[in-house]
Amino acid sequence: MELNATGFWVFSSLAVLSAIGVVFFRNIIYAVLSLISTLIMVSGLFFTMGAELIGALQILIYAVAIVVFYVLVISTVPEFKGQAFETKYMLISVPVGFLIFLELAFVSLYGAWSSNTGIFTQELIQQVGNTKAVATLLFTKYLFPFEVASLILLVAMIGAIVIGRKDHVIDEEAEK
Amino acid sequence: MDLLGTAIFLAIKSLIFIMGMFLGAAYLTLLERKFAGHVQQRPGPLHVGPHGFLQPIADALKVLTKEDLVPDNVDKVLFYLASLMAFVPAIMILAVVPFGEPFTIFGIEIQPYISDLNVGLLLALAFGSISIYGVIFAGWASNSKYPMIGGLRKAAVLIGYEVALGFALAGPIMMAGSFSLREIVEAQQGMWFIIPNILAFVVVVFCVLAETGRTPFDVQEAEAELVGGYVTEYTGMKFGLFPLAEWYIATFVLSAITVILFFGGWQPLPLLGWLPIPEFLWFFIKVFLLFMFFLWVHWTLPRYRVDQITEMAWKVMLPLALANILIVAVWIIIFG
Repeated sequence: MELNATGFWVFSSLAVLSAIGVVFFRNIIYAVLSLISTLIMVSGLFFTMGAELIGALQILIYAVAIVVFYVLVISTVPEFKGQAFETKYMLISVPVGFLIFLELAFVSLYGAWSSNTGIFTQELIQQVGNTKAVATLLFTKYLFPFEVASLILLVAMIGAIVIGRKDHVIDEEAEK
Repeated sequence: MDLLGTAIFLAIKSLIFIMGMFLGAAYLTLLERKFAGHVQQRPGPLHVGPHGFLQPIADALKVLTKEDLVPDNVDKVLFYLASLMAFVPAIMILAVVPFGEPFTIFGIEIQPYISDLNVGLLLALAFGSISIYGVIFAGWASNSKYPMIGGLRKAAVLIGYEVALGFALAGPIMMAGSFSLREIVEAQQGMWFIIPNILAFVVVVFCVLAETGRTPFDVQEAEAELVGGYVTEYTGMKFGLFPLAEWYIATFVLSAITVILFFGGWQPLPLLGWLPIPEFLWFFIKVFLLFMFFLWVHWTLPRYRVDQITEMAWKVMLPLALANILIVAVWIIIFG
């Protein structure tokens, strides 16, 4: 077997196993731990496919920068009520989940269908490297969506600050 | 067969690196204790072996043979896992750090690095930040308030400084045009990247101190307030892994990366290129000097408060790193 094929089977089976763990662990901290494991395994999959830039960013952004906030929130909430389960939420969560599944399936099928049709051929990527290829596309063809995305993130950040800001509270006990 | 051969070869090479790092880290502890001693006007370890030279071996034996206590109410799985999660990523950074150019001895080409990836620097940053989970989970699994506070403080510190560190690294990357650590060194043939990137270097020094939890930033263990911070409930080798990972291995590896980024890696000091010193040794001289600088800071300065640390991360370090990107961009436009 080739190194890549071995890597693919190891990483994908571990990713699926830890994804199952995310869903079925009762202890919410273990669920987050398996989420971290899933994300790292997915980054390993990117490495086996030769997309080392995406793989490294996957670890740096998803496995660390985003999940660390989950861990912070979960570990500061005492006795997280993982058992509480109300069936009425299934009425809305099942259709929404199905819609998201359809969207993801469409995107991945579409991506598989129209892959290798961009301006970068396999040989060119081998030559210049992933980083330059991604950067070139990002700052030429996709510059406008890129800037719009950053603007949306900025708006979201300002919104979060406004919501999270405390009103000025006068500490009565301190004044006494 | 080809696969098996590659795997065995890589495993042996990694083992050599890891063993070397372990032995090196053991003697870095002696170095630190001696240095701390002399900073505080006492002799440091003196009695085991000539001038305390065998002290690390005695320390290792002691820490390994100590009784391994696990408190009753801890989360056992996470408690064991956390010490490994702090330690393993610190060692994994070694996989992307090059220690010199490939050279040939007796007709065999030897590469003094495990892998030369296109994204080496990004991976080093990623592995360095994964070790944050070791500290947070150690705090959570201990099921006790001081470790919990320590873990959360460490998380707050790291989140701030990771962002600044990421932006500070952009300067050298822009000048070299590559994420590969070897290509960054090769790009510094004429002039070290410290010249236009001086602001980034300042930011990186602060970030290394914060990431490795050395003194101006050691709020996560703060003996005076938190008993021992996130390591309060740990004993024996599980306790030993935390300082070994943070204070020695991480500090050493991050010093190596800083030297590669700003001080020309294994290229000789300016005007001293005629000396018969191999490039391998030049690299270790520079790393040693930087490591000693971090020790110097550690054993001289008092500790910041938590709010001061996070405030500095967001209000000083991040703007400095962004200013550095601007300066480097202008520099590149002017000087090509």
